[in-house]
Amino acid sequence: MSGRSVAIVGGASTKFGVRPATWSELAQEVGAGLFRAMPELRADDVDSLFLGAAEPERFAFQSHVAPLAAEQMGLRPHRILQRTELACASGQSAIRSAYAAIAAGLSDVAVAVGVEKMNLPSMAEANSAMGCVMDRAWDGPHGATAPPFFAMVAQRHMLEYGTTEEQLAAVSEKNHRFANSNPNAQFFDKTFPRDKLLRLPVVAPPLRLGDCSSMTDGAAAVVLAAEDRVARYTDRPAWVRGTGQYSDFHNLANAGSLTDWPGLRHASRRALDQAKIRVTDLDLAEVHDCFTISEIIEYEALGLCAPGEGGAFAADGRGDLGGDLVVNPRGGLLGCGHPLGATGISQALEVFQQFAGTVPPARQAPDPEWALVHNLSGSANVHSVMVYQRGGAA
Amino acid sequence: MNGPVSRRRPGATLSPPAPAPEAPPVPAAERPAAAKTTERRPFLLDFFPLETARDTRLSRFYDRLREGHLSTTRCPKDGQLLWPPRTACPQCHSEELEWVDLPAQGRIYAFSAVLAGAPIGMEADVPFAVGLVDLDGVPLRLFGRIEGAPWSALRVGETVRVESYDVDDSRVFYRFRVAP
Repeated sequence: MSGRSVAIVGGASTKFGVRPATWSELAQEVGAGLFRAMPELRADDVDSLFLGAAEPERFAFQSHVAPLAAEQMGLRPHRILQRTELACASGQSAIRSAYAAIAAGLSDVAVAVGVEKMNLPSMAEANSAMGCVMDRAWDGPHGATAPPFFAMVAQRHMLEYGTTEEQLAAVSEKNHRFANSNPNAQFFDKTFPRDKLLRLPVVAPPLRLGDCSSMTDGAAAVVLAAEDRVARYTDRPAWVRGTGQYSDFHNLANAGSLTDWPGLRHASRRALDQAKIRVTDLDLAEVHDCFTISEIIEYEALGLCAPGEGGAFAADGRGDLGGDLVVNPRGGLLGCGHPLGATGISQALEVFQQFAGTVPPARQAPDPEWALVHNLSGSANVHSVMVYQRGGAA
Repeated sequence: MNGPVSRRRPGATLSPPAPAPEAPPVPAAERPAAAKTTERRPFLLDFFPLETARDTRLSRFYDRLREGHLSTTRCPKDGQLLWPPRTACPQCHSEELEWVDLPAQGRIYAFSAVLAGAPIGMEADVPFAVGLVDLDGVPLRLFGRIEGAPWSALRVGETVRVESYDVDDSRVFYRFRVAP
């Protein structure tokens, strides 16, 4: 890692779910929450704002959203103001951009915020918005959205490795259980035992409703600060120690193997190498469980287990409390819902709170020092990874 | 919601590429007509692309599809088949690409189905099957609808044929059909 050291020093999240609130109201809500959570933060401290927003044009008929978000949050960025769009990884893109700007000396204190409003009166219109994440001219006309694509991934994984529906359900049960300790999660008050998950309706065979993350409204924000500003805000920072990203195709025809995600192997290796740690050093990971099969392949691509063993890794509880490391203690996309631009920010906030020891015991990783955050976007064609270290010196 | 689209009509079966003997294209008069357009989706909610030379440099793809052939571009320098059809080679950046016809048959590599959550204009199609199909004899795996059997009867490895079908506004697109 070159340049100045950068850390997350605080943050806030709205309740995720089907919210009776507009895009702008969600931005106001997360702004108010941020200043409540960080009484030492002054609006004038924030010189830059990076907004993760995947599809405000589709979901809220709104462009030029970065200045709108700044106004709603009561911020007046005077160095860098921009939106980052990378579909499901838009939020992490905002954090990576804020990190890069601060490391380079172009910003000292930056807000990375994600806002997404996805629940519309016409869900068919919302589904069209999800469809145009794909190659709209060649994949879109066939009705391609995320569920049938990840369903094919699951089908191939079952065919090639014998992965089972019960193993998929193990991922969903774990993440929904963690979400029961997160009041901001969409499914905070709903329980999903494995036998119930296996009886839910099939959405895209072999995936059932409980295998899929939701259309969710929500917003989340974190504050990133340069090494010489960190102590003003917290003595429990989450230092950015590594970052990696990899993109290798877009059109579904060019996906190659559906069950091997080399992009994640490359992105995570780069991030872990920068942090000078191995995957076995991780205490917790927030990974992109947009579907249950995603988390299973992520175990494999991260190197936590061999290819084909992700299903057993899940069923054996190796990503659960008491396992090899704690995966998705926040509740994951499955339990929290997936407001596209807010998801990556919310995951980073969970890492900050895990390091600070402020999450409920039901999901607290034991004394975590190292954490990894992963987002995929689109048809798992892009992978974005960040590695964080708890507290200590810069 | 699905007024203008005639996707459920039987399509023209595509022929294999040269040098195999080509089946004669289906004459225009015998092709299924698009339904009379009484209601349109807004342009920005319509996944089917604009197909004429006025709007795209790839209009030949759709013209050839209308003649009964699935085609794509190939870079004469690299010899690489490119999907989807392109106007510039991603390897050598040549803009002098050539058109080639593709095989009209392949095998299912993976499939699923949309049982809920279809995009606007496709709700009436639910349930519909989709899949990735390895075309015979070429290194291309294309995504598309699979017609001709319920999704629960499909099998990985099963043979399907490519067919064209009419969309509204004289447009055309391709899909797969389980081989009889």
